[in-house]
Order: sequence, then structure tokens, then C-alpha cells
Amino acid sequence: MSIPSQTLTRRSFGKLAAAMTIIGGGAALGGCSAGGGRPSPNTPLCIMAINHVWSQAIRKHMAEFEERIGRRVSMSLLTSDQLANSYNVKLNASATDIDVMMVRALQEQLLFAHNGWLADLTDRVEGDAGYQWADFLKAPRERSVTGRMVLSVPVVTERPVLYYRKDLGAAPATLDELMETALPLADRRGNFFGFVGRGQRSGAVSMWSSFLYSFGGDFTGQGRSAIARPESIAAYEYYGRLLERAGPPGATNMSLEQAMPIFAQGKAAFYVDADAIYTNFLDPKISTVQETVGFAPFPAGPAGARPFNIPSWSLAISAFSLLRDEAWQFVRWASSPEMVKRLQAEGIPGARQSAWSDPATLASFPADLARTMQTQAQIGLGIDRPDVLQVGRARDIVGRPLVAGILGQPVAPVAREADAEFAEFLVRDNRHREG
Amino acid sequence: MSSALERPAWSRRRALSWLRGVTITIVCLVFVLPIVWMFAAAFKTNVQVTDPSVGLIFSPTLDNFRNVLADGEVLQSLRNSLVVGVASTVLSAIIAVPAAWAVGRFRMRRTGSLVLVARIVPAISLLVPWYYLFAQAGLVGSYTVLVLSHMFVSVPLILWIMIGFFEGLPVELEEAARTDGLTVFGAFWRIALPLAAPGTTTASVLAFIFSWNNFMFALIFSDETTQTAPVTLFNFISYASTDWGGLMAAATLMTVPVVIVAIVGQKFLVAGLTAGATKG
Repeated sequence: MSIPSQTLTRRSFGKLAAAMTIIGGGAALGGCSAGGGRPSPNTPLCIMAINHVWSQAIRKHMAEFEERIGRRVSMSLLTSDQLANSYNVKLNASATDIDVMMVRALQEQLLFAHNGWLADLTDRVEGDAGYQWADFLKAPRERSVTGRMVLSVPVVTERPVLYYRKDLGAAPATLDELMETALPLADRRGNFFGFVGRGQRSGAVSMWSSFLYSFGGDFTGQGRSAIARPESIAAYEYYGRLLERAGPPGATNMSLEQAMPIFAQGKAAFYVDADAIYTNFLDPKISTVQETVGFAPFPAGPAGARPFNIPSWSLAISAFSLLRDEAWQFVRWASSPEMVKRLQAEGIPGARQSAWSDPATLASFPADLARTMQTQAQIGLGIDRPDVLQVGRARDIVGRPLVAGILGQPVAPVAREADAEFAEFLVRDNRHREG
Repeated sequence: MSSALERPAWSRRRALSWLRGVTITIVCLVFVLPIVWMFAAAFKTNVQVTDPSVGLIFSPTLDNFRNVLADGEVLQSLRNSLVVGVASTVLSAIIAVPAAWAVGRFRMRRTGSLVLVARIVPAISLLVPWYYLFAQAGLVGSYTVLVLSHMFVSVPLILWIMIGFFEGLPVELEEAARTDGLTVFGAFWRIALPLAAPGTTTASVLAFIFSWNNFMFALIFSDETTQTAPVTLFNFISYASTDWGGLMAAATLMTVPVVIVAIVGQKFLVAGLTAGATKG
């Protein structure tokens, strides 16, 4: 005997499936709903931020702000890549559940502004005398402006520092001295290196920019590629030679995460990286050089010492936020002169001149680091990467000759190829920008 | 004479056996070493973790586990992962197992293929429209959205494992049950479903492991209270430093439940995975 009616079976199955779907869907929707819709007094102010010491420090003070606005604050901390991915998905969907965004003004602001994702803060920052917009350091302040609109407020700044081992000698004052000192110290067989630094194609570009500027070069000049000019090629060759001859093996795979531990373990004499990471060398849980590490300004090249001084992280307000006033209150509070001083006193370099001029805020830094940071904050350039819409792609192109140099290959031909590619890229990027 | 002929064959077999042993050892090392490294690093200080000269001989510390457990965030995220993993797996099984039975019994291959599209479409391409819809519904940040998004992947997974399984069950059993007075649903419920228990377990274990490890949906759809373990692991990677010891301790804690689920389900897993292959 066979199963009598297939039609009946299908119908039975249909009923069964529908019942299961309702049960399943109902259980999912009913049990876990978080609510939403228009902002009520219970809707939290949502902040998306990088997992950074600044974010962790501001979180500790958050109760004070919540009390001030009478609203709960929800702060999500992510890594920089995750943060960028989240913004891309959520803001593409015009998400209203992001109010305050932590952004990299030099990496993302142009693109986000082009997409219309950032609220204009010009009237808020300039129309509020108590906020003292002019108190922000000139270079980071200028980078907060896109299309004559203030779209972000810098909260964390960075400059390059020459980390060196005091027990091995004094810090070199020039790039030539750095090369002369680092080369003889390198002992690869003994697992000791004269110099360590970032060597990854894209990741190394920002830190290499100070070498580029100090050789008199730049990424662009009058809107055109400048990476094949003699000064730029000299900077490529210098950095490549330094890492090739005095650096660790596999340097082209090294970014901050790989290079920093080498110096922290006492296996390198010199290291150039951002001042924001200095605590890694003073923490005995991570470092073996806490007694011997020294901090010196970026060495002078043929064009003098021209380090960057950039707003590494800034606060912006989402154009889709339904709580813009509350979001501005947060930005105002977190970047107020008082808060910047408080955080700088905890070891987080801010962007306000008043904080840098106050010796009390520098007391938490080692004396030589404080002096170095102060000097570089005054002379630093406000950018450490190409000023374009698609920064990631530009870094890939610009970084190619760097890798060639580190691998010991002739730099000039690779730089000329990269120059042609970068020139084409700039034309396309400008077209996008104008569109 | 014959023993002289047998000797080369015996040597060849022995050589092949050695080769097989070496190959298996190499493959096992490739898979096991990262886990051993993770486990060892969980008991090291950060200096030891980043120092290549410190191998497997070192003074172990429990500080990483203490810090991770004291923080509470990891435990909360493990709870969230458990809620989302169990809910999405159970609900997916409730929907997909009967569906698989229907597809297998009534040759609804086109329907089955349609469901498979969910696995073919790259999940990342769905994130923006999904986010828009879920945000409009006020569901972003809730367990609901995480469970639903995981079900989108789990339902086709369970469905396709179970189709092969149901096709492997003799149809005569259900026909006999119908003859004895059971309804169609009764035959499925009382006959087919119990026989398919190993397959259901296999599919559910795989669906749970997928949900437990899923990062992308959790990154976009969760908030700080519903964040699952894979996203929380990244809290140990901050802008200027990485707490390797804490990261490895948290990763170890995250791996243990999956290992337990896999060990418990292993018996069914093997039976379930091979069951569909013996049909016909």
C-alpha cells in the first residue's frame, strides 16, 4: 500500500510548516524585542568609538555626563577596522542609532563628508564662546574642516617620536646620525636590530610621512603626484636602507602590532612610531625596557625636522542622529578645555593649546617625552597620508616603493611606476570628489 | 622464491604505512598547534607571549583568566552567545527538519534549491538592507535580530543535511505506519523524526558551531548588552596595544563550550554525516 494522497500530504505539510514558522518567529520576536522607534527619554545616546585609552578614560567619567543630560549613554568600543565596517553598513542604511561617531579625520572624513554622513558643526563650535574653538591646535583644527564646514572635533593627537635605548647612547639629532648609529648596532645573528619600524606597504605610509617631509618631499604638489620627485625618492631609499640593513627580517609584514613588541622586548636600539603608544614601553607587564627607554624628537633631515602632528581620532555627529543636541552636548563636554586637561593629565595627548601650555597636564608623561611632544606639537604638519577620498587605495600605491626599498630593490623605477599610477588615481579621485 | 617476492611488497606496504603516519602527523600538527599555542599563551604574561624564545616551557600564570573573569564582559558575551546559539539552532531545527522531510519525501528539489540560495548569496551583501529593515522595526541591538540573522544561515544548513538523511530512510516504514492508522504528520513525528535523531543532532551541532563563531552579524546587529563572544574578543585589541594574554584566555574560554558540544555530539556526528551516504 502506498501513501494515499500526495495533495493531502502537501497540504498537511503546509499547515505544519506554517505553524512551525509562527511558533518559531513568535518565540524569536516575542522573547527578545529591544524596542526602538522615535527617541524617548529612555532612548540612550549611542556612541561608537575606537577601543582606545581615550575612550576607556572618558567611559570612566560617563556617569557625570549622564547625570548632566538625564539620559543614558551607550558606548560601543571596536577596533578601527570594525568601526569603519560598522559605519559603512549602518550609515549606508541611514541608521538613526548612531549619534556620536569617533572618526579618523585624515582617513575617513572626506569620504564620509562626500556621502553626507556627518553633521555640520560649524555654528556649534564657532558660536559657542565658552567652547573656545580657537584654543585647538592649528594643524588638527584645520584638518577638521571639509568644504568650509567643521565636521569633527579632534580629541586625540599624535606625533612621531624616536624611541631609543638610553643605555646604548644618546639620541641622534639628524637622520644621517640615525643611520650611522643604527647600522653598526644591528646584529641579526644575535637577534638584535639597530632600528625597527613599520614596513607594511599601506600601514607604513603614515609613519614614513615624517621621513618624506624631512627630506623635503610630499605626497602631492599642486594637485599632482609628487612621489617620484628626487626628494621623495631619497626618502624612500633612506627608509628602505635603514630597515633593510638595520631592521628585523620580515619587516615588510610589520605594522605597529609586530614592530612595537620588538622594541619593547629590548631587541632594537631605535624605533620611530606615534607618541600615543609610549605606555607600552613603561608597563613592566609588556616591556623589558621601562628603565632604559628614552624619547627624542624626530631627527632632522635635509629639509629639517618636519614631523606630523595629526588629529588621530576626532568626534563627529551622525547626520542621521535624532539626538543631535544631546550628541553635541557630549562632544562639547568630552572636548571641553577642562576635560582635555583632565585626560591629558592622565597621559592622553589632546588637541587644545591650553592643555599643552599647562605644565600640570604634562606631569604624567616622562619629562623627555613631554618636551618632545610639546616641540613637535608646535612644528608638526597636520597630515601624515595623502589627502584624498579613497585613502586606503592611495596608501597602497604610495607604499609600493617603500616595500621595494626595504627588500633592497632599486627604488627609483618602482617609484616612477607608482607615480604614474598615483597620478591616474588622483584624477579619478578628484572626479569623484567633485561629483 | 615466493618469500623473496613478498618482501618488496611487504616493504612497500610498510613504507606506505610510514608515509601515511607522517602525513597524518603533519596535518594534525597544522591543526593542533594553533590551539596549543592559544592554550599556552593564555597562561603566559604579555612579555612571554610576544617573545619567540619562550616556547612551551615557562612559569604559568592564572592572571589572564583572573582578569578576564573579573571583568565580567567576557562572561556576559559567552551567555549572549549561548542564548543566540541555542535559540537560533532550536528554531532553525523546528523549521528545517520538517521542511527537509517534505523536500526529501515529495521530491521538492526546486524548493530546496531556493532555500540554498540563502547560503549562496554572500552574507555581507545582505547587511545593509537587513540593517535598514531591522532598524525600522526597532530590533537592532536585540537578541531577536541576532537569532533571525543566524537562522538565515542555519536553516539551509540543517535543511540540506537532513534532506539526504530522510531520503536514506526506507519509505516503507512510514507507509506501514499510515496503514496502522497514523496520519501523515503522525508518521513523520513518530517514525521518521526519531529515526533521524542522529542527523538532527549532527545538523544542530554544526548550526550551533556556526552561530557560536559568527562575527559579522554580531558586529553589526548587536549592542553592548547583546554582544557575542567573537566580537568581545576584539576588546583585547586596542588602538595602541594588544592584551595577548587576556585575548588568549578569553579565546580559550570561548573554545571550551564548542569542544564540549563537539565531544558530546561526536557519536551522533559520525553516524549522521555518514547516514545520507548509504541510501539506495
